[in-house]
Amino acid sequence: MAEKPMWEQIGSGFVQHYYQQFDTDRVKLSDLYTDASCLTWEGEGFQGKNAIMTKLSSLPFQSIQHSITAQDHHPTPDSCVMSMVMGQLKADQDQVMGFQQVFLLKNVDNKWVCTNDMFRLALHNFGA
Amino acid sequence: MGDKPIWEQIGSSFVQHYYQLFDTDRTQLGSIYVSIVLTEESFQARNVVLYWTFKNLPFTKIAHSITAQDHQPTPDSCILSMVVGQLKADDDPIMGFHQSFILKNINEAWVCTNDMFRLALHNFG
Repeated sequence: MAEKPMWEQIGSGFVQHYYQQFDTDRVKLSDLYTDASCLTWEGEGFQGKNAIMTKLSSLPFQSIQHSITAQDHHPTPDSCVMSMVMGQLKADQDQVMGFQQVFLLKNVDNKWVCTNDMFRLALHNFGA
Repeated sequence: MGDKPIWEQIGSSFVQHYYQLFDTDRTQLGSIYVSIVLTEESFQARNVVLYWTFKNLPFTKIAHSITAQDHQPTPDSCILSMVVGQLKADDDPIMGFHQSFILKNINEAWVCTNDMFRLALHNFG
């Protein structure tokens, strides 16, 4: 009965917690970031917990639901965990859209925090 | 006249090089990967594995088109890059893909220590 590797447990644990928190009360996501964290949201950069939380709190929807299609986790050379998530989301009454998100997790004082976070909607230039 | 931050320059240059290599001769991709915990022997073996992994991907020709890319510096002086794009393999329909890389500077060369690729296929049901 093989156990999942440690980095998969940490990564999938984080991912589950992140989206659950995001969908129910995203203000609480602040626990996951530090002052050294970076977020790139649809190409726009935010540095530090405060700036990140300001952005996430001000996103223009009332209700949101994420659904994860796939997730992958790797250990990195510097003992971090890299997680990539592909899924779909529905905000308010908008249509379902695909998204991609990548996290880098680091163990700081016995707690896994998110130092890097990148989010993009899966929108393509179909004309290009 | 602001220069792009260094991590964006390195990240976008790696991304451009990666897909150009992938689309023209993917058997050469092995050289951009590294694991720092390798002996010489296992390094050679690993390159052979990578060579065959890429060579045996089930298409003859492939073209990637990048829709968007993001780059960030990481706490340990690495670079995290995320790419969203589309690809066309042989005569198959165009498909979306997602890919993420971690780049590390080893002996003054930026190499890829982590690479994750997924086709953008969803459970529409």
